Amino acid sequence: MTTTSSTTQAAPLVTKVRLRDLPVEQRRALLAARLRRAGTYTVALLIALWILLPIWLIGTLAFSAPLDVRTYPKQAAPIPFSTETMEFFLNARGVLPATRNSIVVALMTLALSTVISAPAGYAIARYFFRGRDLFRLSILAVRAFPIVILAVPLAVTFRTWGIYDRVYSVALMHTALTLPTTILVVSSVFASVPRELEEAAKVFGCNPLQAFLRVVMPLALPGIAASAIFTFVMSWNEVFAAVLLTLENRTLPALILYNLDKSGDPFKFAGGFFMLIPSLIFIFFVRRYLFNMWGQITK
Amino acid sequence: MRFRNMNWAPYLLILPSFIYLLLFFGWPMIASLQLAFRRDSQILPLRAEPGAETPVVGELERGTTVEVIDVQLFETQKAGGLLTEKVFWLEVSGPNPEGETVTGWALRGNVFVQDASRSDRGTVRAATATLRAEPHPDAEPVGELPRGTALTILEWGKVDSKVAAGGLLQKPQNWLRVSGETASGEVVEGWVNRAPLFLEDAKISAQGRVQSGEGSKEWTLDYVKRMLRDPKFMQALRTTLLLIVIILPIQFTLAIIMALVLQSQLKFNTLFLYIYAIPLGISDLAAGLVWYTIFTQNGYLNSFLQSLGLIERPFIFISSTNKEWIIVAIVLAEVWRATSIVMVIVVSGLQAIPRDYLEAGELFGASLWQRLRHIILPLLKPSLQVALILRTILAFQVFAVVVAISGGDVVTVLANETYRWYDIGAYNNKNVAAAYAGFIMLLSLSIAIFYLRAVRTQEEKEAAA
Repeated sequence: MTTTSSTTQAAPLVTKVRLRDLPVEQRRALLAARLRRAGTYTVALLIALWILLPIWLIGTLAFSAPLDVRTYPKQAAPIPFSTETMEFFLNARGVLPATRNSIVVALMTLALSTVISAPAGYAIARYFFRGRDLFRLSILAVRAFPIVILAVPLAVTFRTWGIYDRVYSVALMHTALTLPTTILVVSSVFASVPRELEEAAKVFGCNPLQAFLRVVMPLALPGIAASAIFTFVMSWNEVFAAVLLTLENRTLPALILYNLDKSGDPFKFAGGFFMLIPSLIFIFFVRRYLFNMWGQITK
Repeated sequence: MRFRNMNWAPYLLILPSFIYLLLFFGWPMIASLQLAFRRDSQILPLRAEPGAETPVVGELERGTTVEVIDVQLFETQKAGGLLTEKVFWLEVSGPNPEGETVTGWALRGNVFVQDASRSDRGTVRAATATLRAEPHPDAEPVGELPRGTALTILEWGKVDSKVAAGGLLQKPQNWLRVSGETASGEVVEGWVNRAPLFLEDAKISAQGRVQSGEGSKEWTLDYVKRMLRDPKFMQALRTTLLLIVIILPIQFTLAIIMALVLQSQLKFNTLFLYIYAIPLGISDLAAGLVWYTIFTQNGYLNSFLQSLGLIERPFIFISSTNKEWIIVAIVLAEVWRATSIVMVIVVSGLQAIPRDYLEAGELFGASLWQRLRHIILPLLKPSLQVALILRTILAFQVFAVVVAISGGDVVTVLANETYRWYDIGAYNNKNVAAAYAGFIMLLSLSIAIFYLRAVRTQEEKEAAA
């Protein structure tokens, strides 16, 4: 986010200069620059509105009383504010256990994915070895791999292995889904830690493990935490594999999806909003690392 | 301390992920192909009672003609007892491979019932049964029959699905045309759901054929053929492709605009970045539900239009006659949800463009459009290409958005059909599901190869010029 674009160069000039003191053509240019800037702001705000408005609307319904949820025309703000609909959703049968399942699955995925991907990410960032490019390429290929094709055979296999409909089998599947992304992100995090620091640590008598633990790790930790959070969100959101791999131990998205045609609107609205909450919170924490994460895949 | 010189350290480090990916990507891929192309269903085990847990009492070979003795709607508990799933079990009798006649229960999906001549008498089991003009829950009622009324069944009909907005599962429902006396002694005739009726002598004495089971392996194209013959297949393929063709251009235009806005160093830039990035963490299911609140009959769009006075009463956007509006809702939801990822890729690409180029363009008085056309877009091509491949492949898997908005009945997509074929409550055929999954894989691969080749030939052309 360091490069500036084009239309903005005139902006710092505007500070103290009065328009009417300037020659005509400069005045015009300044006005045009200001207009352009105002246009950019308008576009920026419109896009923000496009993203936020639907969230506001479903939030409104989630926090209106059930009676208000059913009224038509709908109100544009949750007045009077009520947690009744939300409580109804949370107390609907299966929702709390499914939420617990979802959290457990996401935490297991986070742990497994981070533990497995960290060494691989480090290897890609720090070593040049034969097959490195091939490994990177296959991870990229796998990253875009359809979940759909994995979920069907895995569900069948899990059945024969007797681990069908278990929380940890969903976590195994989710780890497979998130692993490629996590490896790429972690490798970019490690790559951003200057190699010189590690070398210096070794010069001062650290062995490679100590150098890694005392120098690289503390510097890489925030980035890895961001990637872990993102892994959590990916697992929390995943629905296709979860609905195929479970019957009774549904995760939250699987439960909601499965009950869509059997449940009324308040359930859907509250459920939809409830599922949004983690993304609202977590994206806030990882926003600085987004380009680290996703920018990677273009390189 | 010679790790760096001994070359095996990096291999050791990547080994766990390598094994994991092999186990959960390489191997399922092969398993999927096996499911789709290998017949593993030669022998059908018969159970003592309806239900998969009961002991096997006999076996029938695939293709055996059997007599269907009884049919039962068997309920299994699902989702922690929240739901009961109803599956038909048939009691069949036929010669096993040794020539003995065996009798036992099998899942409806495994036996093809050729001709169902069924019971013609029944009574009303529920408090009342409503007769309707058509075999559909929304059809106009023509009469009410109280509990215990004797009925004559005139016709068996089967309605393939609930055409309800939330109707995720397509379950065949039996509707009967019956006649009976109402409380006032009047004889009425009409359609009624099978559920509130007790059918005397509900045995289907009919011919059936075993069509799948478990057992030996051989290669087959049957599942692929079955997928191709599935009437929903073309529909799903068309919709999936249509969605891609509509969504991608909108998404890329919007993503480039968002990236340019973020690059122009506005005040509150980090706030805008946060807002624009929110959809990255939103699931397709949640996005579908969000847009469902807008497009549903009593939703925000109708509220808004009515408050403007543009409509008199709510317009039903999501209904079987309004496919276009369902597509519009899905497109909006997908653009809303998945543009952020393209935006992030574009921003990373923009950051890699040397500032000199942009400044040079500005210096020579190029307009925004000229700079975009001649500097930014050409330099952004590698990023756009990656985003394009990624988005297209992900678009082949669009699933929960469609189901959340439309129920997946009226408008269906490939991933939804995969799920339906797999689902025990629907078609319960993992092989056809695997064929669908394989088809999605094939599409994704060919589209990736197509893009890459298109780019390469263009580069060659440029190099030659």
